[in-house]
Amino acid sequence: MLTINKGINEGTAVFTLEGRLDTNTSPDLEKELNENLEGITDLTMDFASLDYISSAGLRVLLSTQKAMAKKGELKVTNVNDTIMDIFEMTGFTEILSIVPASKEAGREE
Amino acid sequence: MQNVTEQHNGVKNERKSLSVMIARKTIRGCVILGIIALILGMYFNTISCGRQYISLACNTAKQAAINVEHGADAVSLANRVMEIYRSLSEEDRQKVGTDEYRAFFGEISSDPEYENILDILKGYLDNSDVYDVYLAMYDAQSCTMVYMADPEEQDRLYPGEWESVTEKGMMKFLNWDGEGQLYDIDRTSNYGWLCTAGIPVKDENGQTVAFVLTDISLMNLWHGMKGFALNFMVLMTVLILIVTQLMHRFINKNLVEPVGAVCDAAQNYVKDRREGKNETDHFANIETGSGNEIEELALAMAEMERDISEYEDNLTRVTAENEKINTELSLASRLQEAFIPHEFPAFPGRDEFELYGIMNPAREVGGDFYDFFLIDGDHLGLLMADVSGKGVPAALFMMVAKIILQSCAMLGLSPGEILEKTNQAICSNNQEDMFVTVWVGILEISTGILTAANAGHEYPVIMHPGGEFEVLKDKHGFIIGGMAESVYTEYRLTLEPGSKLFLYTDGVPEATDSEDGMFGMKRMLDALNSDKEASPRQVLENVAAAVDRFVYNAEQFDDLTMLCMKYNGKNI
Repeated sequence: MLTINKGINEGTAVFTLEGRLDTNTSPDLEKELNENLEGITDLTMDFASLDYISSAGLRVLLSTQKAMAKKGELKVTNVNDTIMDIFEMTGFTEILSIVPASKEAGREE
Repeated sequence: MQNVTEQHNGVKNERKSLSVMIARKTIRGCVILGIIALILGMYFNTISCGRQYISLACNTAKQAAINVEHGADAVSLANRVMEIYRSLSEEDRQKVGTDEYRAFFGEISSDPEYENILDILKGYLDNSDVYDVYLAMYDAQSCTMVYMADPEEQDRLYPGEWESVTEKGMMKFLNWDGEGQLYDIDRTSNYGWLCTAGIPVKDENGQTVAFVLTDISLMNLWHGMKGFALNFMVLMTVLILIVTQLMHRFINKNLVEPVGAVCDAAQNYVKDRREGKNETDHFANIETGSGNEIEELALAMAEMERDISEYEDNLTRVTAENEKINTELSLASRLQEAFIPHEFPAFPGRDEFELYGIMNPAREVGGDFYDFFLIDGDHLGLLMADVSGKGVPAALFMMVAKIILQSCAMLGLSPGEILEKTNQAICSNNQEDMFVTVWVGILEISTGILTAANAGHEYPVIMHPGGEFEVLKDKHGFIIGGMAESVYTEYRLTLEPGSKLFLYTDGVPEATDSEDGMFGMKRMLDALNSDKEASPRQVLENVAAAVDRFVYNAEQFDDLTMLCMKYNGKNI
């Protein structure tokens, strides 16, 4: 189960993911991103409610990172420990712009 | 077959009863209609005949009255009779019918005027169908009719003789205003239904002194009616039979037979299908020719038959295609399995190490794989990898990755170089952004020195002699297929004889139970450490059993791939 909430506003998009991003749900996210990334230069993915990410989910992140690298930036926020372990293990920490939760919160204040 | 026959018979009976049912309904309808027609016919017949009778009675009375008034002195006769009658005591009146009573009116009976009137009336009686024509007067006081002249010979009433009458009938006559016809219908005990019509005879002052009355029996009317009803019923019966027969034929031809044809077609269709014949055109060949709903039904059924046939053809084709795909998949599965070393002991005669591997794809083919191979007499290459995604795409990608990795290793490259070269090769042509995580290690068999590099793969787990299995948090590089410029750091460690190395893919720690709980690293380590003396094969079986217990009957979406190596050292 994956719930995707999106907020799009003049080149800025925030995708809030809730649930599990795995083999079964990754195609949904990929479809949503393909349909909505036209003209977006600042994409934020909020993982606060994301419990799990599988290699299929990582693939979507990799594609998105590659696509956004050409025209703007992809930021991932509110990454929990489990997913951070996966990011570290797979080396995604080196290519993703992962914004710590506190910093994100501080920016909002 | 038995079943089909029974059904067939059942429908046959049904069909017969359909036409019988309609015939019965037709007869019933005709009978009801006939009864209504009979009742109406009798009613109007009675009214019409009754009127004729009444007219006859009235006309006869009228004619007779005119003649009596012109041809005789009825007034004086009437006055004399009534005078005598009224002078009689009640006791004398009760003597009516006796000679003594008749003697009171003796003078009138012998009067030539009486004879004259009697002759005139007799003339009318003989020449018409009326029952009686007579001269009489009502006596309002005693509510009687007093006879004056009665030409009827059988039951002749003599002058002065009287009969009781109903007051209602009497008053109708006495109070007649001269409009229309004067008559009354009454049931008498002697003559049955009688119609009495009358014309008053008046004196010079306009006073009614007598009536010329005619009686006509309505029994003829009754007999006539019986005849009418009988004829009518015979005629109706014949008509009903003819109509029913015609209806029966019409319905058989236009309803029962076409429905029967559709029915037969349906039965044959069912029969053929049970016998396995699919290409049929039972409904298409029906000729109902009725141009009504039944023909529409037949056409619709024919279309349905065609559609079902087409649908089945499609289904058969799709099933065949699926079958083919499944066969190919199972072939691919065997091919993939064959590509992974799966015969143990893998290197008979090499006692310096023991190896065991398991690969259980969640689907027919998977993206996980392990591999091991001797690069030369002193170097053993070990691989554990996990391709993103599942199924055929992952399997194809896995085959490519495996070949490149092994080729690079066989060229004598170091683990870091192997990963870099492989990554570059895959990145150069990776439009689908697929990737693979790889742990690669090269063991120098003579020394136990393990050189390894990790491209985003799970941490290896190592047990040194006398110790426990522990996760080795090694330095990670980025996954293979992500960025072409990725570099991979190598690290070295020395395995003492008795050391064990456990490699796995995420399918192990991420195996989930029915409540989405994950197996996790802790359970994995517990299973690994449950038996410190276990052989590589037993180690993997312990972990697999622990995973099975944990997931119980929850469906697994990830592959389960593990490899375990035990280093025995060069000389044992």
